[in-house]
Amino acid sequence: MEIALQQLVNGLTVGAFYALIALGYTMVYGIIRLINFAHGDIYAVGAFFGLSTYGLLALLHVDNTILTTLLALIVSMGCTGLLGMLLFRVAYRPLLHARLSILISAIGASLTLEYGLLLIYSPSFLVYPHLFGRNGPSFGGISISWLQVLIFVSSIVLMAGLYTMVHRTKTGMAMRALAINQDAARLMGINVNRVIGLTFFMGSALASFAGVLTGLYYSQISFLMGFLIGLKAFTAAVLGGIGNIPGAVLGGFLLGIMESLAAGYYSSRWKDVVAFGILIVILVVRPRGLLGERVVERM
Amino acid sequence: MRNRLAIGLLLVFLVSVMVPGAGAQTGTIKIGVPVPLSGGNAKMGTDIVQAATMAADEQNAKGGVLGRKLEIVSFDDACDAQQAVTAAHKLVDAGVVAVAGGYCSSAAIPASAVYHDSGVAFVADASSNPKLTDQGFENVFRVIGRDDQQGPYAASFMTKNLHAKKVAIIHDNTLYAKGLATATQDALKKMMGVQVVFFDAITPGEKDFSAALTKVKSLNPDVTYFTGYYPEGGLVCKQFKDLGVSGKLMAGDANNDPTYIKECGAASTGVYVTSTPLPQDQATAKSFITRYTARWKQDPGPYSALEYDSVGVVINAMQRAKSADRAAIIKSLHQTDAFSGATGKITFDQKGDRKQVLYITYMIKGDKFVPTGM
Amino acid sequence: MKTRSVALARPAQTGSRPLYLAGLTAAAVVAAIALPAFGDAYLIDVGTLVLVYVMLGLGLNIVVGFAGLLDLGYAAFFAIGAYTTAYFMVNTHMSFWLTLPIAACFTGVSGVIIGAPTLRMRSDYLAIVTLGFGEIVRIAATNFTFTGGPEGIYGIPHAALGALVIRTPRALYFLGMAFALVVLVGGYNLSTSRLGRAWLAIREDESAAQATGINTVYFKLLAYVLGAVFAGAAGSFFAVKLTAINPSSFTFIQSVTILMAIILGGRGSLPGVILGAAVIVVLPEVLRAFDQVRMLAFGIGLIAMMLLRPQGLWPSRYGRIEAREVAESEAEAAAGVAAGAAVVDSAAPGASS
Repeated sequence: MEIALQQLVNGLTVGAFYALIALGYTMVYGIIRLINFAHGDIYAVGAFFGLSTYGLLALLHVDNTILTTLLALIVSMGCTGLLGMLLFRVAYRPLLHARLSILISAIGASLTLEYGLLLIYSPSFLVYPHLFGRNGPSFGGISISWLQVLIFVSSIVLMAGLYTMVHRTKTGMAMRALAINQDAARLMGINVNRVIGLTFFMGSALASFAGVLTGLYYSQISFLMGFLIGLKAFTAAVLGGIGNIPGAVLGGFLLGIMESLAAGYYSSRWKDVVAFGILIVILVVRPRGLLGERVVERM
Repeated sequence: MRNRLAIGLLLVFLVSVMVPGAGAQTGTIKIGVPVPLSGGNAKMGTDIVQAATMAADEQNAKGGVLGRKLEIVSFDDACDAQQAVTAAHKLVDAGVVAVAGGYCSSAAIPASAVYHDSGVAFVADASSNPKLTDQGFENVFRVIGRDDQQGPYAASFMTKNLHAKKVAIIHDNTLYAKGLATATQDALKKMMGVQVVFFDAITPGEKDFSAALTKVKSLNPDVTYFTGYYPEGGLVCKQFKDLGVSGKLMAGDANNDPTYIKECGAASTGVYVTSTPLPQDQATAKSFITRYTARWKQDPGPYSALEYDSVGVVINAMQRAKSADRAAIIKSLHQTDAFSGATGKITFDQKGDRKQVLYITYMIKGDKFVPTGM
Repeated sequence: MKTRSVALARPAQTGSRPLYLAGLTAAAVVAAIALPAFGDAYLIDVGTLVLVYVMLGLGLNIVVGFAGLLDLGYAAFFAIGAYTTAYFMVNTHMSFWLTLPIAACFTGVSGVIIGAPTLRMRSDYLAIVTLGFGEIVRIAATNFTFTGGPEGIYGIPHAALGALVIRTPRALYFLGMAFALVVLVGGYNLSTSRLGRAWLAIREDESAAQATGINTVYFKLLAYVLGAVFAGAAGSFFAVKLTAINPSSFTFIQSVTILMAIILGGRGSLPGVILGAAVIVVLPEVLRAFDQVRMLAFGIGLIAMMLLRPQGLWPSRYGRIEAREVAESEAEAAAGVAAGAAVVDSAAPGASS
């Protein structure tokens, strides 16, 4: 029983990371129907930017853990957000209506980010400072740390914040309008490029938040860390219903738990096959995912 | 305009590829060193080339071999089978008399076929997978131990020194790690009173192994042996301790790296690592370390001393055979008799493996690997 | 619906094969013949590798270039062909030539298995799903014992033609050339056949193609199967060339490299694919320093190609259509004004595009 609960906790932790990254996928897809292949790598960039910030602050002899962490998060989210906007502007915007070309450009962007990180930082991996210990609330033999709690809670809070923004603010309304019909939105006076750019900014910022937390939690980051998790997070987004914000988070947690159980009760070597299998099955059997709407938007 | 550029480029490629590589006879004796010089393993490759260069230069200072100077020719195999084969062809075409080097077994094995076909000796300094010499090629030798020697050693340490009754083995499904894991498991199976309760792989490149480790925890092992590489090793160590898995943690020789300790932090104290002795812990290597550090201004890597000996063994073979002919070198290598290298005495058995390989166990204390003397 | 007039039946301007292209072709043919005669073992080996990528490129060209299906897991078929030949040659001592039809069978079937679920998917989902399949095949190869696990299969015997054992670089080159020529002829015939035109129709506008009575399901599957078989053939050859194969040769990076070859050269264009294959193999060899930044260059190159010259270096006659598509898109983006072409691909992921 205890072991099952522990696996649940493991799954929710991994799932929270998936959820944060999936949010970015789902938002971008909802607006421009593009799978941003480079999104996983944005997450990696965020982790590296965070590390650089920590390094810089250490040089400046700033020692307060809370302060450095907050700064690392803010700086990383800001810079990565801007990078996301740049990515859109350079690699995607000119190609929005050329279906195959934009996908290939996305693959190119992904490679560029990955191997750019390799050259700038390290071909091997880098170690984050060990800032947070492992104590946490204790429930018998199950190990949970406060950091894990933070990750879980923040993914819910950010999702809630995002959802509120999308459904309660004017900007959010603009995003929803764009998702329904780009031309009509334009005709209503919405600055399409600005809104899409903002979407990229937010998605990237969320991913980089996950990246810095990854560094803090696992202590290790490497230039390829975004590749596999990007695919998994995309699976999570699809599972929950692509274009749907709560869906992304739900999908993330579900995928995390399913993977944990598969690794725990069957075999760890086949864990990824389980994840890809879920992706394929969902896309074939129920492409709209769990919470997605049956949208028919052909005019 | 762009089209013209395209043709121009294409013609340049065609021409540059057709121009035969510089392989003119300059009288030097060339020794080939194929290693990864790009990608994640580049640092290992550089260490190996540096050691080889040092060995050649030292010999040249003594007058070279048979009155000719030695030259080290190194090419990048990028730890990839295809590129290793290409690099092998390049080395053979460049006129090397022997090859001493290699890092990844997955690259060394296909390349060894090329060397075999061309009759060039291949002395491996770092490929520990048994299959390399099991192929039965008479031109293949190995200065490092085999994974199926480290396995039984690890098994013996676990049972005799750590009194393990239940052992969990985790590998990462790579050639090397699975080989070591399987060798350990086979050795344990032959012993009484000990049981392998877990044998599975984690995926390199991933970070979260908590699911697998939780399963291990539920089985209450006395010893958990991780045979993968140190990037994942550090993560496994950290998560192992965080989850509070019972028993001791042990790791294979690819975890013998300071970054392992850095990654796992303070929790790494008490972890055991099986390995061939690092040069720092071998009496025979003291002089090598001093010279290496003086020359390259950095510590030798884990395979530098082995590479130094690989080149040394080739030089020795040439001197005894009084010839730099490829076939003569192969014959002479087989006759190597207790060559005194930085890593100890080297004699090859029939398959080309090194006889009497020494393994020891390190324990991590603070931020260092300390030999346990067991 | 897109309203550009796509002239499918009317070929591009005649006489559009300027002299320099003919010169280029001649140079390539000369190089291909001269290589085994004058090159050393290393050069011949590089040439043989080019031939392998030519075969792979031509195969992927059918799927991506002709039928317009972005397959990101193409290395899976390459793997199946290689492992099939390797397994049977090592375990049952079968002759190389006998393993070929078996490999063709297995890869063909896997083409159906991988293709079938994706038939009604949008292009982005198709890309991800094929990527997933590619990874599944690679992971399976790493986990199963009969594929040798992470060690793969080594000690593969050389192919033999009667008493002649094909083991020298020169002999392997000729074998590779023979394979490549068969694939090339096959590819050319396909492109000029009714099949090729059907694929083109599907690629440019699937709904319109369906409206003219083309059974898109059948043709798409056929594209997968033929592409898979070509890759399988390349894989079989690869197995006897390297004599030892392992899963690390069949990663996503491999799939991307093959894709790079055809994007660079020009998808749908036969000479383009050959050019692309030559470039991606030769470039890292010629510029050793380039190898350090190879993947970064690929990444930037892909983006640049899409923005500047999406039809590739040696475009097919219909490459102009792609160029026009991208130019229109860029113009729209720059002007910020809709050009009357709403995003055709519907939001519902399940609907075909």
